[in-house]
Amino acid sequence: MGTPCHFALFDLQPGFRLDPELLASRYRELARHVHPDRFADASEREQRLALEQSASLNEAYRTLKNAPHRARYLLALSGPELPLEVTVQDPSFLLQQMQWREELEDLHDSADLAGVAQFKRRLKVAQDELNESFAVCWDDALRREEAERLMRRMQFLDKLSHEVRQLEERLDD
Amino acid sequence: MAYSEKVIDHYENPRNVGKMDAEDPSVGTGMVGAPACGDVMRLQIKVNEQGVIEDAKFKTYGCGSAIASSSLATEWMKGKTLDEAETIKNTQLAEELALPPVKIHCSVLAEDAIKAAVRDYKQKKGLL
Repeated sequence: MGTPCHFALFDLQPGFRLDPELLASRYRELARHVHPDRFADASEREQRLALEQSASLNEAYRTLKNAPHRARYLLALSGPELPLEVTVQDPSFLLQQMQWREELEDLHDSADLAGVAQFKRRLKVAQDELNESFAVCWDDALRREEAERLMRRMQFLDKLSHEVRQLEERLDD
Repeated sequence: MAYSEKVIDHYENPRNVGKMDAEDPSVGTGMVGAPACGDVMRLQIKVNEQGVIEDAKFKTYGCGSAIASSSLATEWMKGKTLDEAETIKNTQLAEELALPPVKIHCSVLAEDAIKAAVRDYKQKKGLL
């Protein structure tokens, strides 16, 4: 028997749209049950089991919490697993990514905090749009190629949002 | 993780950073990305009438290894014919830069960018 599906672990139906609050509260509840502290006096076998469960719970939570990770996981449930490292050639999207990176570089050079805040809002809108597009096509076998492309775009934006946060922290100092 | 001296050299003094007019019929543009790292790479070549790459430019947003791989790729492409440039392998780039295994995909990205630039040029000229 393989490991249970990440969604089943949290008693959720596999799907892209999910309530982050619900996921977080179920995670906390489950994490309490398998917390190693609870097994301090248990047998070695029980301790090991709890540790394994705790690790797979954390892994499942990390995967489902993050939109591109969740998207990639969902696509792997309904088809072959998609490699993490690939080269994409998605010209119009990459061109836009290049422009956004240039903008971010300029914001960094000018230490423009208001500009960064505005950039962040724009990025959030783009991420929401992308999530919405993915949500309506991921489980349609005929649109799998499109779903994969959207998932890759999500990965780029996710990485970009990390960089925006890093820049914010640097400018705050 | 420690970068090799060659990576640091290319990272600190990248060769051929810049942009060419993508509409110019003698220019081929390759635009590729690595979604998991968020790297975006643009590599451009200017080809003369003898089919020799006269100039190459790049712009890469990404880690030091990705920048070094594309910088080295532009150096190697200059003076080569299109067919010669297409034979540049990621393993050669990785070896020259002493990239560690986790950074091999950066050199793959650079090889894919070379191929994409050559293909773009050939498409423009109706050679494909």
